[in-house]
Formats: sequence, structure tokens, C-alpha cells
Amino acid sequence: MNAWTVIVAAGLGSYLFRLSMIVLFDRITMPARLQRATGLVAPAAFAAMAAAGVAAACGGLGITQAAAPLAAVAAAVIAVLRTGSPQAAILAGMPALWIATALLPS
Amino acid sequence: MVPWLAGIVPFGLVIGVSAAQADIPALAGWLTGPLIYAGSSQLATIGMLSAGAAPVAVVAVALVINVRLIFYSARMARPWRGTPWWWRLAAAYLLVDPSVAVGLDGYRRLGRGRGHAHYLGGAVLLWVCWLAAIGAGVTAGAGLPAWLHLQFVIPLYLVGQAISRLADPAPRRAIFAAAAVALLALSAPLQLGIALAIAAGIAAGLTARPAGSAQSIHPLQPSTEVPR
Repeated sequence: MNAWTVIVAAGLGSYLFRLSMIVLFDRITMPARLQRATGLVAPAAFAAMAAAGVAAACGGLGITQAAAPLAAVAAAVIAVLRTGSPQAAILAGMPALWIATALLPS
Repeated sequence: MVPWLAGIVPFGLVIGVSAAQADIPALAGWLTGPLIYAGSSQLATIGMLSAGAAPVAVVAVALVINVRLIFYSARMARPWRGTPWWWRLAAAYLLVDPSVAVGLDGYRRLGRGRGHAHYLGGAVLLWVCWLAAIGAGVTAGAGLPAWLHLQFVIPLYLVGQAISRLADPAPRRAIFAAAAVALLALSAPLQLGIALAIAAGIAAGLTARPAGSAQSIHPLQPSTEVPR
């Protein structure tokens, strides 16, 4: 399977999810526990991909070089906690990354 | 729908830039828009394909993230009962967080007849803006210099989404557990650590008491969720 096939397969599966209850069970009530689990997918997925993404960005770098992405993450976390806005992560994190990369020895 | 657009356009730009920077054809990255049409799942697909993950793992993670669409499908089944099949097939394709929220509001205020038009109008507007934003991101991202480190936009975006959900106990447990398992499973083959971490996060979140947090984790109330 190449990238194109993967994207088509994910798209087809997503469309079947969208159609599923409309076609099959238009009177069904989803169990409460399944509804709760559904609501937890996004935060769990965001956290897992964020942790893996940051680790990948730091992987193979020396301690001083890895400090730049970690400083960006720290700035992002502080910005989101202070503002409550998830968009603040990029607005604070990217400038922090650029500044730290410029200041830290390569 | 207009207030939603202010949130989804920057997100679409981020996905487009990510697609341009990823190690996959830019057109393939853009096609995640019309084919998958759910931002978080698109980001995961682009990121995992770029990282060389196993195709089956990529599809599995994309679908796990989109499993909430089944819930949305159930929510819209009742107002759409009795409509022509072609209409349901088209309307279902446009189901995503903002279109469901706007559609349900329309059915509540306007009734079924005008509610259908309200849903379809808002959903089509959202779809056009979403694809245009991704396209603009792909175009701009391909020409941006490497020193900008734009590949770090995705992790920062995800950090922002995760941190903004820490207020409620269930998502908080899910977030910490998923992040911990993702780090512990970094060496797992084929990027399967991500799927494992998501499962662990959901399991941890379900151990939290539902009382008082049920509203906040309702799939239709993801205050920061834009087409995903």
C-alpha cells in the first residue's frame, strides 16, 4: 500500500463511519460508555501524537540542540495555560523555537 | 457557520503547510482534505506516512480518530429520515464537527424543511473553505525556507490541543496516559506506539468519574475542535 492507497482507504472508512447509523440504525442510541470513549479519542490522540512528534524532533540531536524544540514546547504550554487558547501554542512556540535555535550553539 | 470558519481556516493552512513539508507527494497531502475530511485524522495520516509508518497502522489510527463520526451519524439519522437516498449520501459526506453543530442548531430553530437547506448551505461553505485553506497552505508551505522549521508546527498544534483539554479529569487522565505510553513505546515497530497510546489514554480516561465531566467530553462540544 502506498500513500495514495492509504489515504483512499482512510477516506473510504471515514465515509462509511459517516453513513453507518444513517443507513443501518437510524433509531439506535449509543451506549453511554461508548459515547464517553468517543469523546476521549481526540485528547488521547492529540497527546500521543504530540509526545511522539516532540520526541522525534529531539531524536538524534545533542543536548544543546534538543533544548530548542523543548524550549518551544515549554513556551507553547505556558502560553496555552495562560490564555486558554490552543492556537497560542503555535503563536508562542514557533518564535521560541527560532530564537532558541539562533541562540544555542549548533 | 461563519464563526467556525475563523477557527478552521488557520487549521487548514497548518495541514497544508504540513503536507508540503512531509515526505509524501503534496497532492496526496491535499487529497486528505476531500477524501478524509477530518482535520485531526488528516494530520495523523500525513505525519505517520511521512514518518514511514506501516500503511495498516496509518489507516487504523486515522479511523480510530474518526470513530466519533459514527456518533454524529446517529445524531443526524432522525432529521434525515425520509429524505432521498442521494441526499443522505451527499449530506453524510459533509458530516464533521462544525457541520453537525450548525446543522442541529438549524433543525432546532427552523424545522426540518429549512433545516436541510441550512445544514447543506453551511456544510458546503465549510467544505469549500477547508479545501481552499489546505490548498493555500500546500502552495505557501512548499516555498518556505527550511530555517523556519515548519515541520514543528504539527507537534506544537497538538501540544496546544492537548494542554487546552486538561481542565476536566477524564481528558486529563487520557492525555497524561497517552503521552506517557507514546514516549515509552517510541521504539515500537511501524509507529504502532501511537495506536497503543491512544488506546491506553481512552482506557485511563474511562476510569475517571463521569459525573460533572460528561458535558465537557461530549463529542459535539469540543470547544476547540474544528473539522476533525
